[in-house]
Amino acid sequence: MIWLTWRQFRTQALIGLAALLVLAGYLLLLGLDVHQAHRDTLAHCAARPDCSGALAAFADRYRLRADLLGYLLLVLPAVLGVFCGAPLLAREFEAGTHRLVWNQSVTRRRWLAVKLAVVGGSCTLATLLAALLLGWATGPVAAVQGARFEPVAFASHGPAPAVYAAFAAVLGATLGLHLRRAVPAMAATLAVFTVVQLAVPALVRPHYRAPERTSVQLTEPIVANLTKIGTYGDIGGLRVPGGPWVIDTSPILDRGGAPVGRTDWFQDCMDHSSPADLPRCLAGHGVHVDVTQQPADRYWTFQAVESALFALLTAVTAALAFRRLRTRAD
Amino acid sequence: MTPVLEAVGLGKRFGRRWALSGVELSVPAGRVVGLVGPNGAGKSTLMQLACGLVAPTEGRIRVHGSEPGTRPEQLARVGYVAQDTPVYPDLTVAEHLRLGARLNPRWDAALADRRLERAELDPRQKAGRLSGGQRAQLALTVAAAKRPDLLILDEPAAALDPLARHAFLDHLMESVTELGATAVLSSHALPDVARVCDHLVVLARGRVQLCGDVEPLIAQHVRVTGRPADFDALPSEAVVLARTEQGDGRATALVRTVRPLPADGPWSVAAPDLEELVLAHLACAERPGGKGRSSARPEARR
Repeated sequence: MIWLTWRQFRTQALIGLAALLVLAGYLLLLGLDVHQAHRDTLAHCAARPDCSGALAAFADRYRLRADLLGYLLLVLPAVLGVFCGAPLLAREFEAGTHRLVWNQSVTRRRWLAVKLAVVGGSCTLATLLAALLLGWATGPVAAVQGARFEPVAFASHGPAPAVYAAFAAVLGATLGLHLRRAVPAMAATLAVFTVVQLAVPALVRPHYRAPERTSVQLTEPIVANLTKIGTYGDIGGLRVPGGPWVIDTSPILDRGGAPVGRTDWFQDCMDHSSPADLPRCLAGHGVHVDVTQQPADRYWTFQAVESALFALLTAVTAALAFRRLRTRAD
Repeated sequence: MTPVLEAVGLGKRFGRRWALSGVELSVPAGRVVGLVGPNGAGKSTLMQLACGLVAPTEGRIRVHGSEPGTRPEQLARVGYVAQDTPVYPDLTVAEHLRLGARLNPRWDAALADRRLERAELDPRQKAGRLSGGQRAQLALTVAAAKRPDLLILDEPAAALDPLARHAFLDHLMESVTELGATAVLSSHALPDVARVCDHLVVLARGRVQLCGDVEPLIAQHVRVTGRPADFDALPSEAVVLARTEQGDGRATALVRTVRPLPADGPWSVAAPDLEELVLAHLACAERPGGKGRSSARPEARR
C-alpha cells in the first residue's frame, strides 16, 4: 500500500522536493550572509554606547527578503493542501479506481490511513524543514525587529507551519473524499483553509492566555516606527521593545489619560511638522497609549498551543474522513 | 456446505429509490452464475453489495459466510471487476501487476504473466493508453491473479467487439476453471450467458424474478403451441408466462410447470432455450400485476 501511495504521489513529491531543495539552498546562503552581517554589526558597535541605529540599519537591509520569505511560508501549507491533499482521494473517484484498489486484499481503513500518513507526513516534514531553515536564516533580523509574535511572523516560524501543513493536507483529502471531484475539492480546500487561517489569529489566538493590559510610553523611536498616525490620534503598527504581541491599542492619551486627538497642540504637531520632526513633537508631550498585549515570553507557549490546536483539528478532520468511509463508501 | 453467496431480505435504497428489495439468493460453490436483467434492474448494485463496496439498507448479504469487504482475509477471497474496468492511467501494465502482488497475499504472478502474454499486452505500456478491450483484459488479470474463490464481473465483455468477446469469454472460463472458483457475471447479452453460465439469476425492477441451475430451470419450462382455446385446458399449476399470437390462428406460450404436461393435450410441446426463458420472465415482470413491483414502496414498510 505504501508503494502504491508513493507511486501515485511520485510526480508531485519530486516536483515538491526540487522546489524545497532550491528554497533550502537559498535560505542557507541567505542565512550565512545574515549571520555574518549580524556579527559584523555587533563587532562594529561593540565599543559604542548605543548599537540600536546600526542594528536597525542591519534589519532594514534584510527586512524585505525576510518578509517575502515569511509570506511564502504562510501560503505553503495552503498550496500543499490544494495540490497534494485535495486530489489525493478525489482523483481515485474521478477515475473510478477506488473500485479497483478497494477490492485488493487491503481494507479501506488501511488504504485511507496509509494515504493520509504518507502524503500528510511528507507535507508536514517539508514545511517543518522550510520553517526551521527560515527561522535560523532570518533569526537575527526578527530578533532586532522584535516582531516574531506578530501574526505573519508567528505563522511562518517554529513548529506551527508544519502543523498547518498537516491540517491542510488532511483537510484537502477529506474534502476530496466528500466531494469526489478534484477541482471542487481544491477550491473548497483553499476556501476553508483561508477562513481558518484568518479566523484563528483574529479570534482564537489572542485568548490562549488572558491578555495583559498595560500602557506604553510613546518615545521618539516608537513613534518613528508606527505605520499609521490618524488625524485624531489613533495609531497602527505599534511595536514595543522586547517584542510582545500588541493585539489592540487605544488612541494616543495624555498624562491624565484623556485622548489628545482633538487638542490644539496635537493638531499643530500633525499639521506643522515634517515627517522627521513629528516623533519629537509628539513625544515631547509625554503621551502614551493603553494596549492589550501578550508578553513576549509567552511566544513558545503560544506556538505549542497553536500547534496542539491544529493537531486536534487535523485529527478531527481525519476522523470525519474515516467516518465517511464507513457510512457511505461507494 | 455454506453457499458462496447468500442474501436474505436484501434491499438497497439510493435516496428515495429502491435499487433492490426483498432479494433472497443462495449461490452454491463452483457455479458460473449469469446475472441478467434490463438496465436499472439492480445488477450492478447487487454485485457491489456482494463485494462490500456498498452496504445494504435492509436485510443482509453474506459471502463465504461473512460480511463482505470488511477484513483483509475476506477481501482476498473475492475478485471484482467494475463495469467501467477501472485501471490507473498513469501506471504501466507491469506496475498494475506489482500493485496486485503487493496488495494481495495469494497473488499468483505466473498466472498474471500468462494471462498478459495471452492477451498480448505490453507490460511497459501505460494503462491510460490501452483500448477498452485491453483495459478489460488487464482489470480481469488483476482480479484473477489474486486467486479469489469468488470472481465478480460486472459486464466484463461490454467493451469488446464480437470476435474479441468470444475469445474473452473463453479465456474467462479457462481462468475460472483454473482457479476452481465461483464466478458471477452480469450481461445484457443473453447468448453470452447461455454459452458460459450454468446458474441463472434474473433480476427486474429490483427483485429476483428467477434463479437456479440452468438445466433444472429449463426442465421446468415448456413451449406450448396450439389454438388459443386449447390453453384453457392446461393444468392449474401451469403458469403462462408469455404468449404470442401467430398469424394462422394459433398461439405460442411459454409455460412454467412443476410436472410435465399431459402428453395427450390438444397442443404440441417443445423445450425452450435459455434466451426465450429469460425474455418470458422479463416480459412477465414488466406487465402490470406481474411479479415485479413498483420500486417506490409504502412508508409503512420502512
